[in-house]
Amino acid sequence: MQEIFKEIHQVWLATLHAGFISKTSSRVTLYNFSDIFWRHFGWVENYFIRNEINYNYDIPQVPLRVEKLSYLYNDIINRLKKIQTKLESIDDLRIKERINSDIIYIVEALKLLEDEEVTAFSMNRQYNDMELSNEARDALTLFLFEESYKEYELILVYNYSKANSNSAFLNRIYEILIGESVFHLRSFGEMMATMGILAVPRMVMEEIYKFEDLEQFLLGGIDEERKAKENCKALSNAVSQTNAHFASFFEFINNQENYHIALMQEALTYILSQKENI
Amino acid sequence: MNADSILMEHMMNPKNYGVLESSDAIGIGKNPQNGEKVAIYIKVKTQDEPIIEDISFQAIGCTTTIVSGSIITSEAKGVSFSRAEELVSITLGMLDSLPQEDAACSEMVALALKASMDTYKERLKDENFPIISYRIQASCTSPEENENIDTSYEQER
Repeated sequence: MQEIFKEIHQVWLATLHAGFISKTSSRVTLYNFSDIFWRHFGWVENYFIRNEINYNYDIPQVPLRVEKLSYLYNDIINRLKKIQTKLESIDDLRIKERINSDIIYIVEALKLLEDEEVTAFSMNRQYNDMELSNEARDALTLFLFEESYKEYELILVYNYSKANSNSAFLNRIYEILIGESVFHLRSFGEMMATMGILAVPRMVMEEIYKFEDLEQFLLGGIDEERKAKENCKALSNAVSQTNAHFASFFEFINNQENYHIALMQEALTYILSQKENI
Repeated sequence: MNADSILMEHMMNPKNYGVLESSDAIGIGKNPQNGEKVAIYIKVKTQDEPIIEDISFQAIGCTTTIVSGSIITSEAKGVSFSRAEELVSITLGMLDSLPQEDAACSEMVALALKASMDTYKERLKDENFPIISYRIQASCTSPEENENIDTSYEQER
């Protein structure tokens, strides 16, 4: 069961990253499939929680560096077949059947996707034909590395909190924050793939998401969001001289952080009021 | 491959990242100011002296920490403890020549490597010896921000 959970986590990441890599309409299909695998991940996680089984999000490095997307599709298909062979270990028939049915369809659909040459790891650091100064290119490169990892980390942190919380109020906030982080990760991942600097996602340390003090976590999170805003602002300034498209994009991301801060403050107010009521 | 592309390679695909399930010892380097930390796992084989047969690291930190971890663990893989201790000394000795942020990240990795070897040595005497953790002296913050912080090396158990 633990093995299935890890394999689904890797399949979700591999499919999501295949979406970043693809330069065709396959991207949408891959994002849809990655969303389905994300739901499988949640079902198995819920099964663990219901049955009081200890779990974590540890996974080995996901191999993504391929020359053709078909190699990655084949790797995903092999992983899916491996999951199918291990589904017997799930004693919840509904979860087992749902996952199996999705896999049967997705395996066949992946086989039909058009093959593509992969340029996401070329290190060219060009964004299409846009002009970027060296300073802007360096700032953008570093920003994308830092923030893409951060978004993956946030998805796992909010997901763990959501899965282990019974509060509908907090879960609404976690769900929105997960959605926002998925959007940011997709945006940054696509940019990294275009610039040939797509990074292999690295494992998040357990203590990051298994924190003990939610109040402290939210305070830290608000502080981090404020820093992220500053980073976006600085990046927007650094690229604004040479590229209006990037400048407006990072200004947009910067403004989105205001919403994240407001949501975390809302959650903080809620947990403080709950404390007072005890 | 030029220096830039080597650096990019470590950023895109950090070497030796993750948990080493069969490790013989773990060491930690941490920055108490901002909560960043590095954990290094080593698997040791003993010939005339202990040799780091395999190594991995995990980090809560920035990209510079990941790059440092990737480079230093690659250097330490397969070498004797005495060579790895030299590597730690060389890294700690060049911190002054690095920008402040980079110095803090490299120091954290070097101290984690030192802590892993020290933990291993202690465990030969007492198998229940706890994981050693060292705090860094360098700072990610400016000297003005840092003037009230005690940065002496400190071992935590």
